[in-house]
Amino acid sequence: MDKSMKRRVRVILKSPMIIVFIIILLFFTPYAIYSPGESRNKGVVTAIGIDKIEDELEVSLLTFIPTANQSYQEKSSVISGKGDSVAEAVYNAQIAMGRTIGLAHAKTTIVNEALLEEDITSTVDYLSRVASLPENTVFVCTNKSAKEMLQQSQNLVNDLGLKLEQIIAYNANNLYVTDTSLEAFYKGYYSHVKSSIIGYLEVEDDLYINEDNAEVSGAESVSGGQSEGLQGSSNSSSGNGDAKGKHIVNQGQAMLIKEGKKVAILDVEQLNGINLLNPKSINQIIEIDGVEKEGEVYSMQFRIKNKKVLISTTFENGYPIYMAQLILGVKLVEVGGEHDELRLNTEFSEITDEISAKIERAVKQQFTSSINILKENNTDVIGIGRKFFQDDRKSFKKFIDDIGGIENADKFINYVTFKLNIVTQSD
Amino acid sequence: MKKISINQCGILMVLCIFANKILLMPSLMYHQTSADSIFVLLVLFLLDFIMLPIFIKLKKVYKDDKFYDVLKAKIGVFFTKLIYIALLIFFMFKCLLVFSITYVYFKQQIYQEEFIFLALIAFLPVINHAIFVGVRSFSRTIELFFWIVIAGFIFCLVISLFTPISMPLFFTSNSSEFFSSMYNHVFAFGDFIFFFLIMDRIDFNKGKTKNLYFYSLFAMFLVLILFFLFYAKYQSTAFMHNNALADLLVFSVQFNAIGRLDIIAMLTIMFITLFQIEIFSYAFCDCFMSIFPLNKTFSVVIFDILFLLLYYVFIGKYETMVASSLFWLPYLAVFVNYLIPIIVIFLLLRLKNNINDS
Amino acid sequence: MSYFNVEQEVKKVKTTLNECVDFSYRYYKKDKQKLAFIFLKSIIDSQLFSSALYFPLQTYEGEFSFDILKNDLIKCVDIKEVKKEEIVDEVLDGRVILLTNFSDRILSIDLLKFPTRIPSEPPTSPVIQGPREGFVEDLQTNVTLIRRRIKSQDLVMDVVRVGTKTQTKVCITYLKGIANKKIVKEIRQKLSKIEIDGVLDSYNILYCLEKRPGSLFKQIGNTEKPDIVVSKLLEGKVAIIVDNSPIVLTIPFIFIEDLQNSNDYYTNHHYSSFVRIIRLLGLLIALIAPGFYLALQLFHYNILPLNFLITIADTTQGLPFTPFLEILFIFLLFQVLYEVSLRLPSYLGLATSVVGALILGDTGVKAGLISPPGVIIVALSKIALYTIPEQAPQITVLQLVFIVLGGSLGLIGIVSGMVYIVNYLNDFDSFSTPYLAPYSPRINQDLKDAILMNPSFSMKHRPQSFSPEKKERT
Repeated sequence: MDKSMKRRVRVILKSPMIIVFIIILLFFTPYAIYSPGESRNKGVVTAIGIDKIEDELEVSLLTFIPTANQSYQEKSSVISGKGDSVAEAVYNAQIAMGRTIGLAHAKTTIVNEALLEEDITSTVDYLSRVASLPENTVFVCTNKSAKEMLQQSQNLVNDLGLKLEQIIAYNANNLYVTDTSLEAFYKGYYSHVKSSIIGYLEVEDDLYINEDNAEVSGAESVSGGQSEGLQGSSNSSSGNGDAKGKHIVNQGQAMLIKEGKKVAILDVEQLNGINLLNPKSINQIIEIDGVEKEGEVYSMQFRIKNKKVLISTTFENGYPIYMAQLILGVKLVEVGGEHDELRLNTEFSEITDEISAKIERAVKQQFTSSINILKENNTDVIGIGRKFFQDDRKSFKKFIDDIGGIENADKFINYVTFKLNIVTQSD
Repeated sequence: MKKISINQCGILMVLCIFANKILLMPSLMYHQTSADSIFVLLVLFLLDFIMLPIFIKLKKVYKDDKFYDVLKAKIGVFFTKLIYIALLIFFMFKCLLVFSITYVYFKQQIYQEEFIFLALIAFLPVINHAIFVGVRSFSRTIELFFWIVIAGFIFCLVISLFTPISMPLFFTSNSSEFFSSMYNHVFAFGDFIFFFLIMDRIDFNKGKTKNLYFYSLFAMFLVLILFFLFYAKYQSTAFMHNNALADLLVFSVQFNAIGRLDIIAMLTIMFITLFQIEIFSYAFCDCFMSIFPLNKTFSVVIFDILFLLLYYVFIGKYETMVASSLFWLPYLAVFVNYLIPIIVIFLLLRLKNNINDS
Repeated sequence: MSYFNVEQEVKKVKTTLNECVDFSYRYYKKDKQKLAFIFLKSIIDSQLFSSALYFPLQTYEGEFSFDILKNDLIKCVDIKEVKKEEIVDEVLDGRVILLTNFSDRILSIDLLKFPTRIPSEPPTSPVIQGPREGFVEDLQTNVTLIRRRIKSQDLVMDVVRVGTKTQTKVCITYLKGIANKKIVKEIRQKLSKIEIDGVLDSYNILYCLEKRPGSLFKQIGNTEKPDIVVSKLLEGKVAIIVDNSPIVLTIPFIFIEDLQNSNDYYTNHHYSSFVRIIRLLGLLIALIAPGFYLALQLFHYNILPLNFLITIADTTQGLPFTPFLEILFIFLLFQVLYEVSLRLPSYLGLATSVVGALILGDTGVKAGLISPPGVIIVALSKIALYTIPEQAPQITVLQLVFIVLGGSLGLIGIVSGMVYIVNYLNDFDSFSTPYLAPYSPRINQDLKDAILMNPSFSMKHRPQSFSPEKKERT
């Protein structure tokens, strides 16, 4: 090695960054040069559906597959795979798709109601272990098939410009007033009450058949699985045929889950009853009948515009008593029966003692019927026991010990007596 | 000698206090003491915080002396070297722990299919360079990024308020759980020990010493808030979420459509991790050079080799790393975190007696 | 006593100067007295020569003596006596040498004149409001421009000559009692050590003054505007004016100076602060946008919001290039276009921009060679580069580095690269000044004129980062 060469080497050694840069250039730049990148070779999953077909699980993935176009619209297809476990089914779906899947953008997970006959955690375990799946993924249940639901969701985009998660987010904001995410499900599952509440959407046959829509509705469907061999052989059963004349029905229902199993489906009324104690939940409608005014009888609808909830708990004779005072600011929104609209509306906006008493009765009725469902199923999804624990820890522990220890903590709600005091104000 | 100001020293303290506590620890602690972990944290922080006045006192007494020389003069070369060897191991494992915890976060959240060389090839040269340029340069770098990092951190905390949170249930664990949790996680503490090592490189004439209290209390406060919000947000599922700071940033269903802000948590964590490894690896090399009469290049090479070897051969996997850190590192940590300050108190007391005598 | 043999001396000088084409001499005889003027006719003022030198001799009727010549007859401002050995240098400096056969003293008269530019607004730093003068190539004019602004006895202007062949005048300018003595001393030492045959521009001595020659980063400031130089002198810096160069160097230099613009001081400080934030943002975008985009595409598709991901995925589908090559291709395309547009005359510049923007860009996208997001990202970073035009060469190189880092290592690579660069910059103190001051290390007093700017009346202290001798601005 001649002198100038040696000097050059010494200069290079003096600045380690150059060495590192050379290493990066040598080892990683070739990789960078030939790598097409994640954004080009991943199938981006935006929703996951899980069904049970006979003894096998079928996972359907609403997948966005990039196509060279300039429209920049989300074009998705439903791709499904079958297997004994979710992991296997996902693997088979990947084979059918010919790409690895990316779950990082999955915003919705739909499970078939049938899966909730048994503990659902064994099914969604895979999803809870996939780190890339966001924790705020919406978790909902459907009556028929999750696959159909995914296929129908494509219609939503086409017809209304709506996405599945938007419907559910609307519900979460206005109906459940609780998160209906995978995270929320687990939170309830691992708590002492072992129960949680998730959204419930139905797919129903259309009463009318819109010919034009039927032509374009339904997403492409590709299914792959064990039965078709490893290649998946793309059994392109066109989704159009199955999906014709069906649509997603959002009735604002929710499913009550205990220890991972379905116990009841709550309708909007019942959900409202549960949500009465939740100060964030407003805008519910209260209906009262038989209001007499000037010899005529009307029915009236009120909307809760604001709500204040004061809660206290005590143990009387060793039994828990839950007292809640609800201060409801209500607004008259509709009057039923024959009347002179203009005149009556203004007069009725005043809340008389009679109306107030009727509202109280209606609210109490709603509350009792909802609470009874929770009591029957030992599903304390609204944190009654937690409130007692926070307020009077000693008595609570003693009571829990009396009813059989911490394992039976979920049954606590059964022993609670509820006392509701309702004050109605005009908003 | 190139010295750092008190402000920079305080900033280094903040990063040391963040080390190992903001990602995995909240969920690990939840296993043992559920939401009461906050109190475990508080007690351990208090124990740590006592070190600060001791350090300041020592620094004021021995103005520009090296900690090594102070110890050597008082307790002899043998014991000093023994203590320094303990410190050497302590800092090496702190480095490894910080790296492996963050590595898992990276692997889960950022690089799903990439391999470890990627992180190493990016981190190691930067760390080595930081050791070469010395504590003044890299603490200046940290100073430049500090408020950006803190803003990112606070952003993550604030975002968690947009999701449903409720008061975590306190006082549910018993005292034995409490103390065993304290003991198990003591290795993540002892954050002021680093400053004993670099005490000759801090210029107490620049700035006020009370700023050090401010910075360390600020950092402890942030970590406590992080723990609180994390438990308040996740409640019974806290054990499932291994990356506390990043997991706090996850929106609720209502906000699902907004898009992803994970990038803020990622960048914050990357910067924090890189700086922490810089600090601990520097401490390692400093100890190494004190024990063995070798130059900086040699110590850096030794650090790299040991780091890679320990990571692959002896520790290998992340689970084993964390498990072993729970198993035998507490012994070391108790020794380093609390014995060294005791020796220092002893030294200070003896010095006082000597002055009184004379 | 032996006096000069005038003809012989003229001949000697002529030979020394290789009988240059512009070499000239004039004799003047009166009785036995003989005078000779030696000069280079290309660089003297010939009109002044005849009116101020020749004409008075003709009208004088008595006998010449050296003192009469020096004090009464020659009507020039700059007259001095020189030694015999200095004759050639003086002639080369554009002076006229007067030799006589009745005295052994030699007179040197300044009649230097050569074509110069008039001070005009430099194209690199135009202002909207504020002084528009710029430096020119002539040292004397440049000195005048500074002197006009500082009427103080403390202004020091030392001239040293650099370059064995060009003998270029280099003027070290500073304010005594304000500029740090150590820095002035260091500069003098470095200048004296320069061994080079020619200095054509201030850039020729730049490398000799730098602490780390060969480093990518700028270590010495430069400007073409006298008002900026004066403001820097007042801050306690040292300016170096090089003859034949309109660019004045200022030492020490810190990074934040390039974020500051002379416009900032002539407008409202709130607006200036805002503009500085934009510049910083521009710097960041210019540095990392292409690398970041690559990192997202190659490694982190998961942090892209879905809508953005759809756009990127749709548009990049079916491209013949991989993302890395695509970005590299667009990057090089822009750089080539930029170079071409710089070199071409302005009437052709329009043609290149049409070819560049329309044909290469638009058709490239339509033909499916490059993707629109790629073009946008690279174009954005290339435009953002010129929010700080002073740093453009450095940032262009770093852009490439970050493209490689982002493409091969992802976000970790970009973050590590940033930390490495900042570590490196913090390690090199040019003239014992922290490069990234006042932010790293933080110097509270200097923050008044950092990214957020205070009104100029509140800046009562000079920046402490340059450690001036006198801290208060009084």
